[in-house]
This record gives sequence, C-alpha cells and structure tokens, in this order.
Amino acid sequence: MGRKTMTLNLTDAEMAVLEEMCAKKDLSKTVLMRQALRLYQRVEERLENGGKLFFENEATAEKSEIMML
Amino acid sequence: MTTGPDISPIFLFDTATQAAIPAELHDSINDQHLADWEAEWMPQLFSILRTLKAEGVERRLCPQSRHWNWGEKTKAIEGRLDNQCFSIVCDGVTQAMMITELTHRARLPDQKLDHLVYVEFVEAAPWNRSDIIRQPPRFSGCGSILIRAAIEFSKLEGYKGRIGLHSLPQSNSFYANKIGMTDLGPDPDYQNLRYFEMTPAQAEAFIKEGG
Repeated sequence: MGRKTMTLNLTDAEMAVLEEMCAKKDLSKTVLMRQALRLYQRVEERLENGGKLFFENEATAEKSEIMML
Repeated sequence: MTTGPDISPIFLFDTATQAAIPAELHDSINDQHLADWEAEWMPQLFSILRTLKAEGVERRLCPQSRHWNWGEKTKAIEGRLDNQCFSIVCDGVTQAMMITELTHRARLPDQKLDHLVYVEFVEAAPWNRSDIIRQPPRFSGCGSILIRAAIEFSKLEGYKGRIGLHSLPQSNSFYANKIGMTDLGPDPDYQNLRYFEMTPAQAEAFIKEGG
C-alpha cells in the first residue's frame, strides 16, 4: 500500500491532546491522525448532503446536535 | 478507499484436484472484478434461484445475499477513506469480494469503544458456496482468506486484529464456529442480524489454526 510522508506542525496544546488520545486509544500518532481524517471526510459528506450530526445518550435517548461551522 | 491497488500472492484449495492453486488477493474491487460479478456470478446465481424456486424451496432458505449489487456498493464508497475493498482472483476470474469500514467501534466489554475493522459485505462466487450449490465448492477457503485479510488490515491500521461484522443467518455458524468470533446476539438496530466480534487473542488463535 503506497504511503506519502508529511510534516505536521502542532501547538503544544494540540500535541498534548494528540499524545493523550494516542495513549488512551493505544494508537500511534499516524494512525490517530488518519482516523481523524476519515471521520472528517465522512462527516463533511453527510453535512453536504443535508445531514445533521447528533449524539444520542443510550440511557436517556437524549439527542444533542453538534453545530458544524 | 485508502490506498492504491496492491496484489498479494495466495493459494486456494481446488476441491476437484485436491491441489493448492495460485491466486491473488487484491486490496481493491476494480472494473474487471465487477465485470466478473456481472457476467459470471449473476447468471449462475439466477440459475440456482430458478432451480430452488422450481423445487419449491422457501425464499428464506435461498441465498440471502442474492440482492447484493456490488456495482452499486462500490460506487457508493468511491473516494471514501473509511472504506477498503478486497477481492480474490484465481484462474483469471474473481472468486470472492469484501468491503470493510474503519469508523466502527468495538462492543465487547474488554475492548469496548476500541477501533476495529468492520466487515460490511463479504461474498464468494456462487460456485464457491457449497451451501447453495449443494456440492463441494470449486475453490474452498475464500471466506476464511478474506477474514484473514480483514485481520491483517486491522493490524496494519493499529487495531491489533480486532474485527466485527453483522452476519446473514446462513453464515452465523461459519463466523461462530469456523472463524471463532464472539456472538453478541441479534442487533435490533441492524435488521436483527447477529453481531459478531473478534478480539486480538481470537485473531491470533484463528491465524495459528491456519486461518
């Protein structure tokens, strides 16, 4: 599978979050950033098609919409 | 699909000659694979369905993937980073196809919310399915090889071999007994199909047993 390399510049705060997420999910930075890109692409596609992004609390069935700017 | 096409050498077992035949595992479903599905798979599937209808076999006992349109399925995910396709080619003909997805999360308590490779669709050519042709398949092992591919893809993505899928009723026993996945029961949010999941330990056990 072909791969291309890039340099990513992050602030200290962004890097801290990235490292925290990687430790929590036991994933490498590359894997986590690729996952984020996949999700971004999927969300963008749904929004462009007129969809809305909701989270639903399984216990209460309460829905909250995430505002995408 | 996440990357350009890649092809790996594999072997399929020819049940007639009892020999291992060289084959190819593609990390894509391309126009040639879809042409095989249309020109080779569909006529045989329709022939089987006609036979079953003539014999008065109930519809629920007919091949449950009969309505799958691989052309539409692959078109719908064109350019998506969260989908990866696989196919097996042997003797110049597509023998099986699979579509995986990468944004699902695990449900088993020990790996809840961890990332996994979700198998959206997997199907072998009609002549490779002993359950519908009621005789030995031409090539056996297509399903297991594609599940192994999903496991390896999961490892490559950093998901340690975790995979999940919803099974058509005719395949429940295959995933529970042959593959060794955990059956989490019917999913009311997914047409009540049973949901199966594989842990890293189960993936290693499957590979160790020759999967």
